[in-house]
Amino acid sequence: MEKKEQKRHQHKHSGPKAQKKNRKKEQGTEQEQDERKRNPRAFSVQSAVRMAKTFHRAQDIKTKKHHIPLVDRTPLEPPPVVVVVMGPPKVGKSTLIRCLIKNYTRQKLSDICGPVTIVSGKKRRLTLIECNNDINSMIDLAKVADLVLMLIDASFGFEMETFEFLNICQVHGFPRVMGVLTHLDTFKNNKTLSKTKKRLKHRFWTEVYQGAKLFYLSGMVYGEYQTQEVKNLGRFISVMKFRPLVWRTSHPYVVADRMQDLTDPEAIRLNPKCDRTVSLYGYLRGTFLKNKCQVHIPGVGDFSVSDVSFLPDPCPLPEVIKKRALNVKERLLYAPLAGVGGLVYDKDAVYIDMPSGHASRQQEEVRPTTELVQSLIGTQATLDAKMAASKVSLFTGTAALTPEEVQENEKQNPMESREWDENAQRERRRAVFADEDEKDDDEEEESDEAEEEEEEEEDEDEEGLTTLKKVDEKADETAAPPVKKQKIKEPMEMPAFADSDDELEKSEGEESEEEEEVAEEEEEDSNDEEELGGLFKVSRPERSKKVRADAMDCSRFQPDSSHDWDQEEMLASIRDCFVTGKWEEDKDAATLLKENDELYGDFEDLQTGEVHKAKTGNKDKAEEGNDDEIKGDGGDDDDEEEEAPQVKLDDDEVQKNKRLEKKRRLKERFDAQYDDGDATYFDDLKEEMQKQAELNRQEFEDVDDEVRVQYEGFRPGMYVRVEIPALPCEFVTNFDPHYPIVLGGLGPSEGNVGYLQMRLKKHRWHSRILKTRDPLILSLGWRRFQTIPLYYIEDHNGRHRLLKYTPEHMHCGATIWGPITPQGTGFLAVQTVGGIKANFRIAATGVVLDLDKSVTIVKKLKLIGYPYKIFKNTCFIQGMFNTVLEVAKFEGASIRTVSGIKGQIKKALRTPLGAFRATFEDRLLMSDIVFLRSWYPVLVPQLYNPVTSLLMPVGQKDTWAGMRTLGHLKHDLGIRNKPNQDSLYKPVVRQVRHFNTLHIPKELQKALPFKNKPKQMQAKGKTPRDLQRPAVVREPHEKKVAALLDALSSVYAYKNKKAKAEQHAKHKEFLKQKEKQDAERQKRLKEERKKTYRAMGQKEKKKLKSSLKGASKDN
Amino acid sequence: MEFEGCSCFRQRLVLSTLSRKREKILNIRSKDDNPGLRDFEASFVRLLDKVTNGTRIEINQTGTVLFYQPGLLYGGSVEHECNVQRSIGYYLEALLMLAPFGKTLLRAVLKGVTNDPTDPSVDLLKVTAIPLMKKFGIDGAGLEIKVLKRGMTPAGGGEVLFTCPVRRSMKPVQLTEPGKIKRIRGTAISLQMANRIVDSARSILNKFIPDIYIYTDHMKGASSGKSAGFGLTLVAETVNGTFLGAEVMSTPQGQGDPVLPEDFGRNCAKLLLEEVYRVSITKHTFVSGVDRYVIEFLRHIRDFFQIMFKIEQQKPGEDEQKGGEKVLMTCVGAGYSNISKTIK
Repeated sequence: MEKKEQKRHQHKHSGPKAQKKNRKKEQGTEQEQDERKRNPRAFSVQSAVRMAKTFHRAQDIKTKKHHIPLVDRTPLEPPPVVVVVMGPPKVGKSTLIRCLIKNYTRQKLSDICGPVTIVSGKKRRLTLIECNNDINSMIDLAKVADLVLMLIDASFGFEMETFEFLNICQVHGFPRVMGVLTHLDTFKNNKTLSKTKKRLKHRFWTEVYQGAKLFYLSGMVYGEYQTQEVKNLGRFISVMKFRPLVWRTSHPYVVADRMQDLTDPEAIRLNPKCDRTVSLYGYLRGTFLKNKCQVHIPGVGDFSVSDVSFLPDPCPLPEVIKKRALNVKERLLYAPLAGVGGLVYDKDAVYIDMPSGHASRQQEEVRPTTELVQSLIGTQATLDAKMAASKVSLFTGTAALTPEEVQENEKQNPMESREWDENAQRERRRAVFADEDEKDDDEEEESDEAEEEEEEEEDEDEEGLTTLKKVDEKADETAAPPVKKQKIKEPMEMPAFADSDDELEKSEGEESEEEEEVAEEEEEDSNDEEELGGLFKVSRPERSKKVRADAMDCSRFQPDSSHDWDQEEMLASIRDCFVTGKWEEDKDAATLLKENDELYGDFEDLQTGEVHKAKTGNKDKAEEGNDDEIKGDGGDDDDEEEEAPQVKLDDDEVQKNKRLEKKRRLKERFDAQYDDGDATYFDDLKEEMQKQAELNRQEFEDVDDEVRVQYEGFRPGMYVRVEIPALPCEFVTNFDPHYPIVLGGLGPSEGNVGYLQMRLKKHRWHSRILKTRDPLILSLGWRRFQTIPLYYIEDHNGRHRLLKYTPEHMHCGATIWGPITPQGTGFLAVQTVGGIKANFRIAATGVVLDLDKSVTIVKKLKLIGYPYKIFKNTCFIQGMFNTVLEVAKFEGASIRTVSGIKGQIKKALRTPLGAFRATFEDRLLMSDIVFLRSWYPVLVPQLYNPVTSLLMPVGQKDTWAGMRTLGHLKHDLGIRNKPNQDSLYKPVVRQVRHFNTLHIPKELQKALPFKNKPKQMQAKGKTPRDLQRPAVVREPHEKKVAALLDALSSVYAYKNKKAKAEQHAKHKEFLKQKEKQDAERQKRLKEERKKTYRAMGQKEKKKLKSSLKGASKDN
Repeated sequence: MEFEGCSCFRQRLVLSTLSRKREKILNIRSKDDNPGLRDFEASFVRLLDKVTNGTRIEINQTGTVLFYQPGLLYGGSVEHECNVQRSIGYYLEALLMLAPFGKTLLRAVLKGVTNDPTDPSVDLLKVTAIPLMKKFGIDGAGLEIKVLKRGMTPAGGGEVLFTCPVRRSMKPVQLTEPGKIKRIRGTAISLQMANRIVDSARSILNKFIPDIYIYTDHMKGASSGKSAGFGLTLVAETVNGTFLGAEVMSTPQGQGDPVLPEDFGRNCAKLLLEEVYRVSITKHTFVSGVDRYVIEFLRHIRDFFQIMFKIEQQKPGEDEQKGGEKVLMTCVGAGYSNISKTIK
């Protein structure tokens, strides 16, 4: 092809076009920036509706992003982040944890059981927990996890456990989820690898959220993941942020990382199945934990905590934050259940010996359980000391006390257990410090503390030598922290009053006995006064009188008679409580005004050219009066009096200035109000929350921990020791550290049981619908429990109608008898927790709507009756009721027939019994059936059976089976229902229909035309003899001929058949041959074609090359 | 939980209902000539039964032991015939604490004595408790106390309507600054002597603040109750929206010494001043003055909810004349939320 040189474009350098272009070039950038200005028409309002729509949409999107702001309650030193490593078996969970631990702390942990706490950075600690393949553990851990590392075997793909876990998470508030793909080295082909990665990633995204992080661990090096990849994963974990979840921020919880049995060994020896007292240790998370609260241990049950105390942090963050990374000493590891480090039990604290740089240190070979037992055996003596030291054991140990002391205790045994401890403490204290009372109280306490500390040390040193007495003394002193004393004072009086109901009685009988005590009390009272100030001085006479237990219950304050309000001094003492009194320095109107004047005082009126100077002196006073007028809501007589001197200054200048001033101030106020107009409600709310959080943090900041704990409870982030009495012995004997122990704190009234109404939906992946009255295992709040739900649907009139089964794809209501849990809490249901039977175990999910002590679910009940006598619109109906009384209850009820005739029950008849008269809107037939539609209330079965999976023997913890469903029972016992006879299928038998002959009257016949007249069809008679054909009888020769012909024809047929078969076989052979030949030919042809194509291709390529060359040459 | 004696009877029952902890009260007036629960206490228990669902109450033969297992707070329309031994204020104080946590809006009609010398009267609660509840976030159109009929001590015959909306949770409250009193309002209940009472009260209070207005209550005929009596309720409002109240009621006819209406008014004004003198401030609940009743209440809160108050004393300034010493009480809430309310 010939190429033409095209004529180039000639730019115009002059003329209107060139001018226009130049103009454009000059303003070009500016115009492009603001298209709206350049082309206003394109952006004008085309349609108001559309504009409104776009605006709405934009606003919708904006508001959807908002979450309800929560008060930030995160403590300054947060608890370790709970990282749950989850995945199906053999996916590499333990390996990953080991690698992470090695990455963070440079230590090796061979057996991972129980939570492992490590310091991961300057401000963050992690608690790593491995989740085993048991739905119980999955549920428990999903409730406490902050971050879930979801391990997925890429060579296999997703497994059901992964999806189940994700769904569990979704219900209980979604923690952060990060997927980790392992077994990527099994892919030989790079393409399949990348494809698999992509496929898994997208599936993971649909499940979690678009863009969720999925991590790849590509291969193993010496049985470990690659260091760089683990390091990267570690970095991701360290920078992760967490959103507070509602349930967790409103409930305290502890993931126990250490368990200790405190039961008296003697009691266990006597009865190995006795209830155990156990102390559990762990970091407190969630919110504040109050002492003596109720906790739920999932898998065990509800318990009330007998004592909580906080311990020094076993795995503290580095104290001073430096710029550099952590050094080896600061990289701590704490995993008592895995038996890491030498455990040292010391009274109430645990010290872990962790010499630095022992990366190659061998882990103890002993199994963790035996380790625990060993520690118990080894620390028996210290345990005793501890028992004696702790408050509760103090009273179990009272048997060993001297008899007088025991008596003393008994005498003052009050009703409230709470007061009891403190009371006893006080009594003890008196006995000890009888001679020291003259001393200053503060001094005394300090010295006491010092003493007691010394004593403790002594005790521990010479354990064997300590006498009982000494132990007691020590117990007394240690149990009463110095701070507590001041608040003990109040309650301790109660028991005394409770003992003596009558004042008179007491004054006569007990006074002599209690004289000493009273004296003591007096002294302590004086201490009180010093501690609490003059507050109680006022009520002291009352106190000595002592309020009786049966005092009048009246909230009115008895005025103090000492104040005489007729005196001037008294009146003067409250003068400043009124607006007319003196104000504080920072609120005083005069000073404020002065400040204002200093700020804005000098200004020049531009219009008039006047210069206004700030005023001082008496003018200030005038303004104050003015200000009062504004504040005090209008003129009162007194205000005017104050204004009087100002009126004297009455010259125009002053008035004018005053007005101007007032105007200016009004304007300022207006500006202040409306300038920040863009602050939305949301922003305001957020700010308010921020303020509250700040306030909460500041309030108790400078208080000592011991005291602070009493005011606000134990702070999240503290390492606490929770003592729980009366745990079932199986908890200890069947203890398996691989199963998580969670102590979930319960709010007030969450320990009770009642009816719960919930909204429920069958999970769309669960294969079967759920049946009413089949037991179901629910995970709700902290708990897992079996219960019997009744499903219902709300009718349009608010009636709750019972359903036999859950709808397939729709929400329905469910009512259970279960633990009271706040509304809005999500739950999930599984049918069994033992074994894996269903392919997707989560049967249903939902949310709690309502709590109540009674429920009204009804089911439809149809009463059927039959008319036995029919008048015009009235008829008598029987069979619906049995007695007259029953009828009387239903008088006036509306009834209906099957055909739709409505009616009403009127009155019972005397006979037959239960029959009644009813009227209808139309006449009934005897064949009609009358029915009455009524609603019958259903009772919800009161089954609440907590899943006690942690009490099962080791290795069988995933086999907990509760109540079986009816179907299960029948299946197991081989019971088959006897079916209703009418419901069975039977062979269809058609009865022959018999029609009567058509009878046409003679008259009609006559009138009909001939063709319609019935023809007189007579039956045919017998054929006459002459018409009947005779039978043929053959001659002997003929017979022979026939036989021969027969034989010949059969021979011919046989020959024919044989020949055909032969021909067929031959043809088959031929076909085979032909096919073979064909195949060969095809092959040859293909070969040839290939050759040609190749040749053609090469030719083409050459051509292309040459053409390209040619083109390049051309250019 | 177990308690002895009938002091703080209402506190215990109310806190038990709120915390849903069962309790047992033993030895109620067991040494008394007339042992057991009084009629007004029985009436109170009955009222609790009416506003709750599923409450179990067992009282022994003599009435000296009460077992109380609280149910769920229900609310709804309640009509209660309060015993005339105590005034409606006795019952209303408890209802004020319970009503916001019910399932549905409470609409209680209480019949009995509206004003008596022992208990805070309905008028006082109306002017002090309602603004306080509003501070806790319980506001809206539903909240009100209305005196339909008035009834004096011996015979009663009064009627009070109390309505309260339900809330999911309460707002934290900071009442750290009482503020200065900006106005004083009041209600005088009397037909003939109202003016005399009002004048005498004003004579004292006028020394402090001129913004005083005392209404006279006009209840006539059937709505004025079955027995005669007179009284005065005063309330002082501060610039921070805090209300301080005081009141005086006449004793029933034939009991006590006769008083002049002038003395009467003066007494009431003095009571208000006394109130002003010792007004104290707390962060989470407003307590006027720390008296025994309040201390008992704090103790019971600690028993039921494990909440302890931090009590700080506020030192008055050197030249400030603001009456007695004040205390500042702080506590961390229990995270209580209304679990009766239905969500849709």
